[in-house]
Amino acid sequence: MGPAAPKLTPRRSDGYTVVEFIVPRQPPAFLVVTLPPVCRDNTNSANVQLDVQLGRLRLRNPIAVASGTFGYAREMAGLVDLARLGAILPKTITRDPRPGNPPPRSVETTGGMLNSIGLNNDGLDEFIQRKMPYLADLGTAIIVSIAGRTREDFVDLATRLDGVPGIAALELNVSCPNVSGGVDFGTNPDACRQVVAGVRQACSLPVLAKLTPNVTDVALIARAAEEGGADAISLINTCLGMAVDWRRRRAILGNVLGGLSGPAIKPIALRAVYQVARAVEVPVMGIGGIATIDDVMEFLVAGATAVQIGTANFYNPTASMQILDALPTALAELGARSVADVVGTMTERK
Amino acid sequence: MSEPCPRTSYADNAWQGTCRVEENVRVARDTYRLRLACPEIAQRILPGQFLMLRLTAGNDPLLGRPLALYDVYSHCDSSPDAVQVVYLVVGKMTTLLAEIKPGATIDAWGPLGNGFEARPTEHLVMVAGGIGQTPFPAVARECLGLHCYGEPRRQVPRAKKVTLCYGVRSSEYLAGVDDFERLGVEVHVSTDDGSAGHHGLVTDVARSVIERSDAACRMVCCGPEPMLAATAELARELNVPCEVSLERAMACGIGACFSCVAKVRDPSGNWTYRRTCIEGPVFDAAGVEF
Repeated sequence: MGPAAPKLTPRRSDGYTVVEFIVPRQPPAFLVVTLPPVCRDNTNSANVQLDVQLGRLRLRNPIAVASGTFGYAREMAGLVDLARLGAILPKTITRDPRPGNPPPRSVETTGGMLNSIGLNNDGLDEFIQRKMPYLADLGTAIIVSIAGRTREDFVDLATRLDGVPGIAALELNVSCPNVSGGVDFGTNPDACRQVVAGVRQACSLPVLAKLTPNVTDVALIARAAEEGGADAISLINTCLGMAVDWRRRRAILGNVLGGLSGPAIKPIALRAVYQVARAVEVPVMGIGGIATIDDVMEFLVAGATAVQIGTANFYNPTASMQILDALPTALAELGARSVADVVGTMTERK
Repeated sequence: MSEPCPRTSYADNAWQGTCRVEENVRVARDTYRLRLACPEIAQRILPGQFLMLRLTAGNDPLLGRPLALYDVYSHCDSSPDAVQVVYLVVGKMTTLLAEIKPGATIDAWGPLGNGFEARPTEHLVMVAGGIGQTPFPAVARECLGLHCYGEPRRQVPRAKKVTLCYGVRSSEYLAGVDDFERLGVEVHVSTDDGSAGHHGLVTDVARSVIERSDAACRMVCCGPEPMLAATAELARELNVPCEVSLERAMACGIGACFSCVAKVRDPSGNWTYRRTCIEGPVFDAAGVEF
């Protein structure tokens, strides 16, 4: 006598699979096994809506790659299917070329890395002429990250980028810790409001403000960005840090101070996203130590509408692809039909 | 599609995955040779290119580490199916790497970087300092016509002679001299402490090799920065073409992070920071600002 032959019946409306075991030459017996949600297959996850709305910006899925961690995308094309990404944020550009900071520019620390690249870039003209045509052809939303020392720098960049084909939105990098000047916009609410408002006035593109965690009250800055007209808030940029070589009695980084990123800062980022999502009406894009699908789900539940993968691109170049593969199943595990169904759904702890 | 930065060795040929460790043996003081089963990288990689290695589990160490191709390895007469790297134990990652046993797995991505150019050469003089000998077995094997690397297989005009000038602190750090001699490379050793070969600088050895050579020489060089600078100066003085392979701390190895920059001069003499990972690691010595 062979083993009991399982017979799968059609899926129930609640998504659970009913399995009947028909045991031969036995009095008819039916075993109805209700599988726990974790065992459900991908049939349901295929129906999960992945597109998300960030103000006026619509992304095909919530998985973006963070500025400064993905070059200008061309670098990653050999390993990553760029067309699958929700959005690409090329390395921050400034109006004029910048050589960047003296090396060493990065050093690993426990569970993270410090960097002080210093916005090394070829400037706006080179970006528009050399980088943007490639990016525009990818079929993925391109969110151009810009930085300046003054409000006029930001406005000037936004004005110039407004008519350039292929740009989906701008992200204002008001939070880079590695350059002098310009950081004020991320730490002073009035300055933040004014720079966002200036950019909003100067161009028709959706605007994200990328905030620094290196402030006392990040929600205060986020509200100022919202008042200035930001379509969404992205956070966090790196946490200001330092590494020391005590034997040589000197800082390891050429620029002495640097920005900490990677898994080490994820709890800080989750905290900041949670605080900001409760303080503003506009959507939040979560950044900081995201490397796995679990990290993504934590950020969504804590209040992020979308996320950016950052340092993980360095040590696992295909992290974004692995996360995209796993996302529908993870969303389905929570019974979600769309990303929005899980955003900011943390229950209050008694 | 337009190319945003021509003359750059993007990681278009790269593969990322988990590889089985086939061998991890001590070859000199604090020096190990690691062999990974990885036909994807072994069949594509060129001499002077590198791969990134990362421990499969955990986030400490977090980042991958760049390691130059020592040589490819074939289990039978067919195309290569494994890659070998040689490393010096210097920090957290290499300490853990030295403890890895055959059968364990490690994450890798590569091949990366530009590698050494396939140029017609009469007499190739390879100058290595410290652990800087690691890119050269593959360079020598290709130059001596013993193996064709890459996909499609790269054809390199055969050199008449290949010499290795190999400087280390002390004889106990000499790693792989047999490997070079087996290929037919003439090896000249120098040590800081006089425990083997010439007691002094490797550049002194390289100078005498070139001055005594009756063929047109070309130098390739890898090692610590002061030694690279001295070799570049020697090449300028003797009017010998010279390429140097730079070592820099890298976070990604694929051009994404802009950490590993070096000052490189353009023909007009102005320097800019270039990414060692995708615009190097091999540069014309005359252009590098040491």
